[in-house]
Amino acid sequence: MRFFKKTSFKFMEIRNTLYVISGAVITAGLISLFVKGLDYGIDFLGGTELIVQFQNEVAIGDVRDVLNRVGIGDAEVKTFGSNRDILIRTIEQGKGTTVSERIRAGLSEQFAGNPFTVLKEDAIGPKIGAELRLDALYAIIFSLIAILLYIAFRFQFVYGLGAIAALAHDVLLTLGVLSIFNGVIPNLNLEINQNTVAAFLTLIGLSVNDTVVIFDRIRENKKNFRTMGLIELINKSINETLSRTIITMGTIVLVLAVLFIFGGEVNRGFAFTLLIGISTGTYSSIYIASAIVVEWSERFGKKAVKA
Amino acid sequence: MRKHRSKIFIIVASVAISLWFLYPTYQDHQTQNTLKGLSGLDSLQYIEENEASIRQDRLDRIKLGLDLQGGMRVVLEVDVLKLIEDLAKNKDDAFQEIIKEVRSGTQTTEEQPVKLLRRAFENREMRMSRYYGNLRDDNNEITAFLDDESTKAIDRAMEIVRNRVDQYGVSEPSIQKLGGTRIIVELPGVSKEEEVRQLLQGTALLEFKLLKEPDVVYRVMESIDKLLAAENPVDTTVAPADTTELSAEEFARQHPFFSVAIINPQAFPGEAIVDEENREKVRRILEREDVQRLIPNDMQFLWSAKSRFANEGKTYFTLYPVLRKAELTGGVVINARATIDPNYNQPIVTMEMSSQGARDWARITGANIEKRIAIILDNAVFSAPVVRNKIIGGNSQIEGMENLDEARLLEIVLKAGALPAPVEIVEQRSVGPSLGEDSIMAGMVSSIVATLITMAFMALYYRTGGIVANVALLFCLLFIMGVLAAFHGTLTLPGIAGVILTLAIAVDANVLVYERIREEVELGKTLRAAVEAGYNRAWTAIIDSNLTTFITGIILYQFGSGPIQGFALTLMIGIIASMLSAYWFTKWFFGILTDRKTTAISFG
Repeated sequence: MRFFKKTSFKFMEIRNTLYVISGAVITAGLISLFVKGLDYGIDFLGGTELIVQFQNEVAIGDVRDVLNRVGIGDAEVKTFGSNRDILIRTIEQGKGTTVSERIRAGLSEQFAGNPFTVLKEDAIGPKIGAELRLDALYAIIFSLIAILLYIAFRFQFVYGLGAIAALAHDVLLTLGVLSIFNGVIPNLNLEINQNTVAAFLTLIGLSVNDTVVIFDRIRENKKNFRTMGLIELINKSINETLSRTIITMGTIVLVLAVLFIFGGEVNRGFAFTLLIGISTGTYSSIYIASAIVVEWSERFGKKAVKA
Repeated sequence: MRKHRSKIFIIVASVAISLWFLYPTYQDHQTQNTLKGLSGLDSLQYIEENEASIRQDRLDRIKLGLDLQGGMRVVLEVDVLKLIEDLAKNKDDAFQEIIKEVRSGTQTTEEQPVKLLRRAFENREMRMSRYYGNLRDDNNEITAFLDDESTKAIDRAMEIVRNRVDQYGVSEPSIQKLGGTRIIVELPGVSKEEEVRQLLQGTALLEFKLLKEPDVVYRVMESIDKLLAAENPVDTTVAPADTTELSAEEFARQHPFFSVAIINPQAFPGEAIVDEENREKVRRILEREDVQRLIPNDMQFLWSAKSRFANEGKTYFTLYPVLRKAELTGGVVINARATIDPNYNQPIVTMEMSSQGARDWARITGANIEKRIAIILDNAVFSAPVVRNKIIGGNSQIEGMENLDEARLLEIVLKAGALPAPVEIVEQRSVGPSLGEDSIMAGMVSSIVATLITMAFMALYYRTGGIVANVALLFCLLFIMGVLAAFHGTLTLPGIAGVILTLAIAVDANVLVYERIREEVELGKTLRAAVEAGYNRAWTAIIDSNLTTFITGIILYQFGSGPIQGFALTLMIGIIASMLSAYWFTKWFFGILTDRKTTAISFG
């Protein structure tokens, strides 16, 4: 079976159009990031998060009334998977008696005939929250630097630059999409927590994986076709690896789709983030990473790009 | 075949080793299933009969993270600043102001309180010796002193927490130091939050209690032994022979208590030793109501805090009979220090008491010469020295420690009463058991479905190549789990996500190779040459892409915390496993196959 016979798409020729599209999507995301922002979990803000499961369905409004009564009016309340499961999140910090105790006492009073069990409870101090935030930032920045160095060492500096630009594109675009979609799709929690960071690092890993495969083919073709122009060379390499790109990425998207559907509430946000990230990652390997190599050589001369 | 022998050996050996490491996990799972099917009493008996093997399996299996089995994770922070404040000789207004400034500093920066304190003093051009140490000491000496005290306070807090968790009886707790001032406590299967919070945060209670007279204790133990023996049916087939030569089983039947709580003739009279394996059993016996009635009201049995090695590689706990009423409590201890006695070259601990404490101590020791006093922290006995003479003035010396470590532990315990190391809960996460179960199910179902779909696609698209890749994929999964078990790793939910992603990476390696082989075939090469070229040419792409992902994994592991580390760990293990199985194993396999008959191979 074959999905693709030999293809010869002229990928690089339409790059300018795609710059505009990429730019537009990222701009939309950035606007959403500034206007709507992201939904940080208590991992990064500090506070208390409680997920309770009631025996019968409850109205969100009633839960909110309880919180107002116990003095935690600024808490966020939403359903978690089903209408019996309620997620309550507040940045309130407890000293002595904890915030969660106040909430639980209030809930058992209000819903006396509808007992609940605590599925999950987290309480994070503000100092820890700040540290986790910093750790996450360091993890992303350092992995980008490490990737730049590795690719610059194995290929050439401009390739490292292309890969990093592609990754920055993926991270920005995915963040923007998370901001846009947050709260739009029911029962999909897109809060930014430690799992989201893991998702971003995975997408960085897989996206660079994809970029490296194309670069590797460019490196190989360069040796065999010394006289070929750069654009033609890159197009040829992308076409030759296209079958692999589609199949691998298709498989990964399939796996993520399964994780999204069956992976449970906890994994759903993770899978969604990666689905967006992987799709942009595949696209950016071609239209950001490879395109930057082209742009660079057109500005600074073909001699600069040897590989 | 001969030239492939080493390759076949490597494949078979790595599969066998993985299976060997995974066997305890499988056994543990089987045991849990058996126990579920048994009623309360039967399951207790089952546990007692198979104790050793169950314990070993528990130790060697792949552990599940708290997110998968439910439980509590608490991060404690030792309030070093509070300690520094308590250590000051006088606390005038200027000092209070400095402490206030440092406290607000610790909220906003990561710097150590001692450093902040020193800077606060230097900004005011004040000498630290006004409040600490001797007047002649310079700031360096005092900073070193405070640093040392902070480190000790954290050790003390660790010991107090460990001691309490041991007493609380959680299975497989984990207590680790994190950075300079934090302690992570993980308690699987625990959901009583309030209880745990109090357990971890309450002030440590140090007590001195006299031991009960040995003859009374022996009578009590004898009556317990008789009570238990009466429950065992009398074996009528054996005539009561002379009691001096009982077989081990016969002794256990006739003396059910003394067979587990052993009276050691070489030890102090009155105390009993219990093999670690029998500790739970003895604990259960002592908790029985009818047994409790046999114990006089003024005495109680307390366990030693630590076990000791004895012969035959067994470890024993000591059971101390102590008076219920404490003679003194730990508030009176001002200082304690572990040193080596220069005269005898033996480890000793010196203890200093407050003036009020010293008066009581003189009375107590005077009235109990040649008797033993147990030193007890949170109901665990750390030492039970014999009073040699009346101690006047409050300076005592405790001898008889086996080594300096034991002396240091006693120092920590004695100080716990006087200089509490206040701890604060800075992070608390708990997962209810039902969410844990749901997560496991969700994780399992999605892994299986994802794997099956991928495998079906591979077999369909690449034919023989796909089937070989599928076998390699199963090997890869086996290796990841095997390595996880071998290193006593913990599987978490993000960890499962890591596994799923490495499976995708493994598939990618095969796709890269097979697409290349197809290209080479289209160029007109023979299958054998195409396979060889495919593997060789795909190698640079595979190694470069996997290495970059691996580097990301290292950085994640280094900078991430908790759940991220679990993800990074399986990702790194998975990348290595996938290189081995998806690239090398399949390559060798095709190498062997193309040597024999190429017609059997198809890449679709």
